[in-house]
Amino acid sequence: MRNAPLFFLGLFVALTLSWAGTVLFADHQLGALAPYIDDSDPVNPSYPPQQPGIAARGQLVYADLGCASCHTQAVRRPDFGSDQARGWGDRQSVARDYIYQTRVQLGAERLGPDLTNLAGRKPSALDASNLMKLLYAGQGAMPAYKFLFDERAIVGEPADSRLMLVGRLAPAAGREIVPTERARSLVAFLLSLNNTFEYPEARPVAPEAPKKEEGKK
Amino acid sequence: MSPAPANAEVTAVDTTGRWPLLLLLVSAIKWLVLSGVLALIASIQLIQPSFLADCVVFTHGRTVALTETAFIYGWGANAGLAIALWVLGRLGGAPLRALNWAVVGTIFWNLSVLLGLVGIATGDATGVGLLQMPRYVQPVMLVAYGAIGVAGVLAWLGRRHECTFAAQWYAVAALFLFPWIFSAAQVTLFWLPVRGVLQAVAGGWFAQGAWTLWLAPLGLAGAYFVVPKVTGRTLPSYDFAPHAFWCLLVLGAVTGGRHLIGGPVPAWIASLAIVACSLLLFHYFVVFINLRGAFGAGGTALKLVAFGLGAYVLGGLVDAITAFRGVALVTQFTHVDTAQEQLALYGGFSMMIFGAIYYAVPRLTGQSWASAALVRGHAMLAMLGVTALVVSLTVAGWIQGHELLDAKVTFADIASHTRFWLLLAVAAQAVLLLGNLLLLVNFCWSACRACCPAEPADSVAFRQPAAMEAPAS
Repeated sequence: MRNAPLFFLGLFVALTLSWAGTVLFADHQLGALAPYIDDSDPVNPSYPPQQPGIAARGQLVYADLGCASCHTQAVRRPDFGSDQARGWGDRQSVARDYIYQTRVQLGAERLGPDLTNLAGRKPSALDASNLMKLLYAGQGAMPAYKFLFDERAIVGEPADSRLMLVGRLAPAAGREIVPTERARSLVAFLLSLNNTFEYPEARPVAPEAPKKEEGKK
Repeated sequence: MSPAPANAEVTAVDTTGRWPLLLLLVSAIKWLVLSGVLALIASIQLIQPSFLADCVVFTHGRTVALTETAFIYGWGANAGLAIALWVLGRLGGAPLRALNWAVVGTIFWNLSVLLGLVGIATGDATGVGLLQMPRYVQPVMLVAYGAIGVAGVLAWLGRRHECTFAAQWYAVAALFLFPWIFSAAQVTLFWLPVRGVLQAVAGGWFAQGAWTLWLAPLGLAGAYFVVPKVTGRTLPSYDFAPHAFWCLLVLGAVTGGRHLIGGPVPAWIASLAIVACSLLLFHYFVVFINLRGAFGAGGTALKLVAFGLGAYVLGGLVDAITAFRGVALVTQFTHVDTAQEQLALYGGFSMMIFGAIYYAVPRLTGQSWASAALVRGHAMLAMLGVTALVVSLTVAGWIQGHELLDAKVTFADIASHTRFWLLLAVAAQAVLLLGNLLLLVNFCWSACRACCPAEPADSVAFRQPAAMEAPAS
């Protein structure tokens, strides 16, 4: 290592190799992934669907609150983990699912359920009012996110967006709890998480017939 | 006692670098304590989710991001740079130059870390692991880092000896590579973001690169300097050290793909990472052989380096094992991942740096540590805390991983089954925080004593080399 220029060149080459080898090559492979277009559907011809603006904003709320420190957004294949048996999705997640997402949050830890297909779960997925209540009240290991909501006095008619709460959580008479802009964006993002359509690359490689244990209700 | 001349242990490098390097170190230790407080909050939230949940600043996701940022960019960067600059100056044989640049850089770096933490706390976090700071502070950090790094590069270029030592390679590599990985990650993630899952690939590359190309070399620079100095022996099998160095640099950053096993990315990314993890064992093996002299008699500094070395090598082994798909199936997405991260960052990097700090500070101040009891106390608490933290998180994660595989076990059940181990992790975080507070007190006390000149009788006694070592425990 007597030769300083050669040493620095070596460092640089080592770094570039790893960067080009993983990031650049993966970009070459996946950077141009296109959606499937279904012309027979005039409302939403693109698969995956484009993210509405409010959902894109919601994804930034998801990133900023660090939701990914407890929730993942990637369903693994059926023979690798219990993801599908837990009802998180009917197929594994593939790169095409994420092409429209502004800030992809695959997540690193599962202290709570995977959210990849939150709005497409069967038999009954959560709707906006369920999600609002869940965020406001918390559940089990998930804390309440009360700061995403405003409590205010009802002036005139109660707001349409108010939370319908009963029991201990209900606000005092004459007051209501309404979601803030951030809560609405976050819920819009969560409701955009729907991977119920099939892609050829998402089919299991070797569909062995007897491996049928999707009998979960 | 050694008959060496009284001032041989304090060189011109130390006297000229005293205040700039102490400034870096005091900033580092301050962030370490802050990160410990945040880590304690985050770990309490794992067993008591409602703890501080109503406060938007301390919602769990943000607490985790704040902890990680304060630790990496506050503690890791400042302390690692201080040790790297000092090692480069010492081995270069000439006083450090451009230290006024380093001081300005340190001030701006720490201001931007502060601004970054405020940004995360108020809702500008990016959500990308190890790169949570809002993008508006990142360019400032890059420039500030460059200003600090100038002193290191000048020390390397102006060295008195043509030949170089392993500690210098690691220090220079870390100084030189961080700006590249940091800026490449910023561009691909925030300025010209790549599409879809490629963000996860780029984020994984950066997170691994920040460890293997930056923090690990900084820690190793300290260890490769301290071990031969304290033991007074040449390193065994030193001929292999360059191979280990290049092995780490070439393969290190590729191993990040192991976190994407089974994920929605091309399978070759994970396969490449698995192979690289196994090949990297060569690096860990050589480092262990080179530095095995640390596992012997010696003061607290050497004990901490030895602990760090053990954790570093163990961490490499665990990385290679958990990279196999069969094991990753259980450990993926669990506390085992966190345990591995803590083993590397706290057990490996921080312990080696603690050791180097205990060796360097008496030379920088020209006096021994203010309190030998505090030195021993910190070392004991740090070793105990790291061991307890890593063990408890590993067990908790192992239970969690097995139960996640069974679709019938609910998250509430998993939480109750891991509760005991997570409680233990809270205790471990408290022990670590206490230990780091002792370090902060002792460090400030020692630095203050360096401000006001000690009594003349004192200084001669203190400058005996043996007195410079942190006390043996």
